[in-house]
Amino acid sequence: MTDTAVAPKNAEALAAANKKYEWGFATEVEQEFAPKGLTEDTVRYISAKKDEPEWMLDWRLKAFRLWQTMEAPDWAKLNVPPIDYQDAYYYAEPKAKKTIASLDELDPEIRRTYEKLGIPIAEQEVLAGVEGARRVAVDAVFDSVSVATTFRKELEAAGVIFRSISEAIREYPDLVRQWLGKVVPMRDNYFATLNCAVFSDGTFVYIPEGVRCPMELSTYFRINAENTGQFERTLIVADKGAYVSYLEGCTAPMRDENQLHAAVVELVALDDAEIKYSTVQNWYPGDENGVGGIYNFVTKRALCQGRNSKVSWTQVETGSAITWKYPSCVLNGENSVGEFYSVAVTNGRQQADTGTKMIHNGKGSRSTIVSKGISAGRSDNTYRGLVRVAPAAEGVRNFTQCDSLLLGDQCGAHTVPYIEVRNPSAQIEHEASTSKISDDQMFYAMQRGLDQEAAVALIVNGFAKEVLQQLPMEFAVEAQKLLGISLEGSVG
Amino acid sequence: MTQLPTNRMEAWRWTDLAALEAARSTDRGSAPALDGLWIEGDGPRLVFRDGMYQPKLSTPGEVSVEAISPATAHPLGAVTAGDGWRLTLAAEQTVAVIQIVHVATGGENHLPGVIELSRNADASIVETFVGAGWTNRLTTIRLAEGARLTRSVRLLQASGFVSLREEAEIGAAASLASIFLGAGKAASRIDGELVVTGDGGLAEMGGALLTRGEQRQECAVTVRHSALDGASRQIWRAVAADRSAASLAARVDVARGAQKTDGEQSLRGLLLHRTATVNLKPELEIFADDVKCAHGATVGELDKQALFYLQSRGLPQGPAKAMLTRAFVADAIDRIEDEAVREVFAADAEAWLNEAL
Repeated sequence: MTDTAVAPKNAEALAAANKKYEWGFATEVEQEFAPKGLTEDTVRYISAKKDEPEWMLDWRLKAFRLWQTMEAPDWAKLNVPPIDYQDAYYYAEPKAKKTIASLDELDPEIRRTYEKLGIPIAEQEVLAGVEGARRVAVDAVFDSVSVATTFRKELEAAGVIFRSISEAIREYPDLVRQWLGKVVPMRDNYFATLNCAVFSDGTFVYIPEGVRCPMELSTYFRINAENTGQFERTLIVADKGAYVSYLEGCTAPMRDENQLHAAVVELVALDDAEIKYSTVQNWYPGDENGVGGIYNFVTKRALCQGRNSKVSWTQVETGSAITWKYPSCVLNGENSVGEFYSVAVTNGRQQADTGTKMIHNGKGSRSTIVSKGISAGRSDNTYRGLVRVAPAAEGVRNFTQCDSLLLGDQCGAHTVPYIEVRNPSAQIEHEASTSKISDDQMFYAMQRGLDQEAAVALIVNGFAKEVLQQLPMEFAVEAQKLLGISLEGSVG
Repeated sequence: MTQLPTNRMEAWRWTDLAALEAARSTDRGSAPALDGLWIEGDGPRLVFRDGMYQPKLSTPGEVSVEAISPATAHPLGAVTAGDGWRLTLAAEQTVAVIQIVHVATGGENHLPGVIELSRNADASIVETFVGAGWTNRLTTIRLAEGARLTRSVRLLQASGFVSLREEAEIGAAASLASIFLGAGKAASRIDGELVVTGDGGLAEMGGALLTRGEQRQECAVTVRHSALDGASRQIWRAVAADRSAASLAARVDVARGAQKTDGEQSLRGLLLHRTATVNLKPELEIFADDVKCAHGATVGELDKQALFYLQSRGLPQGPAKAMLTRAFVADAIDRIEDEAVREVFAADAEAWLNEAL
């Protein structure tokens, strides 16, 4: 792949981007690709490229062989075009510099990419090296390899390990080995198994006993090279009494080809530990006809292993052509707590099948699920959830609320909650509603001087308020803007 | 015979297919007595023994028995092709309550039924299942404009498996109300697909599943709204004792353009013992924006405050629990309009509760 081959397409893509997708652009950086296609050699290439130990390669190969025997799941309410796994690149890394000592050495193209992301939060200042900037550690994943990690020293002083997963495999093999694949087993599902075989990079976080992580951790995922699947692997372990808040946000450039993204996120919370995981996902959703766009097939799961442990998932999903994502909590610990707050917006031809699983195994475990689905255009939006109470789990409490908002009469909103209870002391409540924006609401907002789109954005933000409130401040601002932009052109 | 479904299929994951296989391979035995199964009334009465019509025991009235070749894609429904019963009513025609008793003695038996009501016709049918073995039924219902059908079905088989498949088309302003009571000892699956094809049609399907021992009962009902102003109601109650499992899956589909649909779902489960299981799946699939679809689902044990209240009024714990459980089940059974039928169903539920509690 040469730059000259990419450049004209970028120009086309940029032209097509116009105002509908502000963050659609492509950055030209020299890439080093693994050969196209997926074979054992690809897996070996990735492993060798990352200088991985023998056990890691064995693990990848085992997953790859297993994957070949598996079939893609078809139970979701999604219409997924057949994916040719041989017609994609599985590894791409920005060439140029071997290691980056300071931000000044960062590729100017990459710097500009961050600027174009237009996210007005402290990360910009952090990257620019502004004194007194709010402390947010950025482990930037540019394509597949981490090229900038900031604040590492300060984190290390607190004992926090914040590394790209490939570094962690080299530097903390025992710790990684102890937990990798323990929350999401290798054979969990088709996409997770694929990820095990070919994961390119990702993040590893370990918060030691009793430590409250001194800053919010953040990663910006960017999918940047044409035809490269991106397979992120995230592992966060919070030891006894630890606390960490992790932010994940994504945007992606305009592309014609469908891009597959099959990430795996594993969280482990031991006794009294708390993990807060927030996501804003805004990948390219495809054009009006559903051409292009990212396939987002993600496996996210948290293990609340210790007593009084707590994991909170918050997600704002506005992008991707197809979303298949169920951030879940396995509540093994006594009095452990699982939370899931979600806003999923679909417009155009987008399809989203998302929700959560709360598996209650521990006594007195509690979970809260608040899901807000907003469908517009010709899109389909499905909430799929499971609440399971094991026989030994006494005094379990669950509250589920899933609300759907339909904008227009060409879209669909679906709710598929499963409730499986095997202990009579459980108290399970489920509520759902489906509604539209009433003419009265629109009239009121518009006679106050708002135009139609501003009125819709206002009402939608009100609808999603309970979830947006859970987000860290700067994410909440970004998420509100995203909701408005995602729904542009959906009314009237 | 067609391939049976497996638990690996999403729509059959809670079904006790092992019980079905076991029931199939039992031998035919003697038939239980039919005394006490009839509800008072002079309407038509039919008896089917192992799926075979029993003319000597029947007064068929408007119901005819003939070969039926149902057009269904349902794996169990399709097996029923052969001789079955048919009720066809002309416009404005009404009949007295029709009673059908299905007696099974073991092995497997299949029977199709067809109900076709013309404009503004009105019928009420009560079906009772007793005996043993695998009993498999398909009932195809077509209601023309303004037609009204009430169905009350009780499952009282002492062992085996009962699978019922209902396929209904509900025309403009027509109404179908089906209430099921599972109070026997057989495993069961009540499988329904009701399609509201005319504007202002009403579809109701609900009931109570009472399970104990190792028993597993389930319902899997879909109501599809494809016309304007439709309404549907799915009120299901499950009571699970011992090591049993009761599963309620109810779904409302609202097609594009089926505006002003009012869909109501209420699924509630009560666990009497810590080893019992209740599964719920209240599902919505909505393609129209001006609809009212809400569902509520709860699982738990009896309300401790209510129990305390009754005990403070002098009721011992046993009867107090029974009273609250009875009220819980009554939510579903009270939907039966005919008083005589409702009382008989309530008595069956009562008998079950007396044994289980």
